[in-house]
Amino acid sequence: MHIAPGFLSPPVWATMAAVSGATVAASLALARRRVGERQVPLMGVMGAFIFAAQMVNFPVLPGTSGHLGGGFLLGILLGAPVSVIVMASILAVQALVFQDGGVEALGANLFVMGIVPSLLGAAVRRLWLRPKQGIVTYAVTFFGGAVAVLLGATGVILMLFLSQSLPGSVSLLQAITVMDVIHMGIGAVEGAVTVAVVKFVLATRREAILSPAGPACEKGSA
Amino acid sequence: MSPYNRKTLLVGVAIAVIIGGGVSYFASRSPDGLEKTQADLGLTQPPHEGVTAPAVVFHEYGLKWLGEGFWSNAIAGVTGVLLVLGLLLGLGRWMKAGKSGRDADAPASRQP
Repeated sequence: MHIAPGFLSPPVWATMAAVSGATVAASLALARRRVGERQVPLMGVMGAFIFAAQMVNFPVLPGTSGHLGGGFLLGILLGAPVSVIVMASILAVQALVFQDGGVEALGANLFVMGIVPSLLGAAVRRLWLRPKQGIVTYAVTFFGGAVAVLLGATGVILMLFLSQSLPGSVSLLQAITVMDVIHMGIGAVEGAVTVAVVKFVLATRREAILSPAGPACEKGSA
Repeated sequence: MSPYNRKTLLVGVAIAVIIGGGVSYFASRSPDGLEKTQADLGLTQPPHEGVTAPAVVFHEYGLKWLGEGFWSNAIAGVTGVLLVLGLLLGLGRWMKAGKSGRDADAPASRQP
């Protein structure tokens, strides 16, 4: 879902760069006081994992593919501030080293694929911090992952609309419909993969998720 | 480094390298959801001026000189994985240093 170079107008990308830049700065300030000894390696490998997973495009509809976003998953595992920092690192490497996404669109891409899903994930985090999880946690996480993708997809179309990039023959509603229908399949995969990966990490690295930053991160991120 | 953290790193990096360096070669080459939407809507040419990073070593997810083969993708994937990991471990070091008045390497359980 990376916005390619040249599809956003300067006022739109500059605004998004300012918003996302300020969010990253705030996230760094918050994380600096909270991140724990066991969270740092987890943060590093989760970033590496999401970067790798984003390279794996899976088919959704004929002639269409999608890949994991990961911001929602990271929001659950690491809390919003750390999740935003991890997504910013991934998107920066993708744009600057692999020409994936426009450099000027980096703030916009971080907003829709990093900041929005991280906040949603952080809101679901408390469900996973309880001693036991059941069907409610899985269902909320699955649909939350799908909603995160659809919100991001809608956000991209809104930014293209505000940039006056959509062809004159296409209405905003039509564009959102096309984008969101395609992203329903991608969202379902995002939700399912999120449940599976959170379960796996929680089963193997529970301490790194819970302590010491866990509850503090949770409070500050909602 | 504690054995706990060493294991987190080794297992996590192994998984990421296998996915980014190997599995990704077999990924779908179809346009992604946004590209498909833009094609359906007739928005294929960028209407504004954009900035593309220069292809210094990699052209998209492949080595510039190697084309699109398995190893080209693998080198790009593993390099990306290590770049993200290194960047985040560096940032993590800086974050831990911010916990003033406490030993950054103290066991997690002793910190509030």
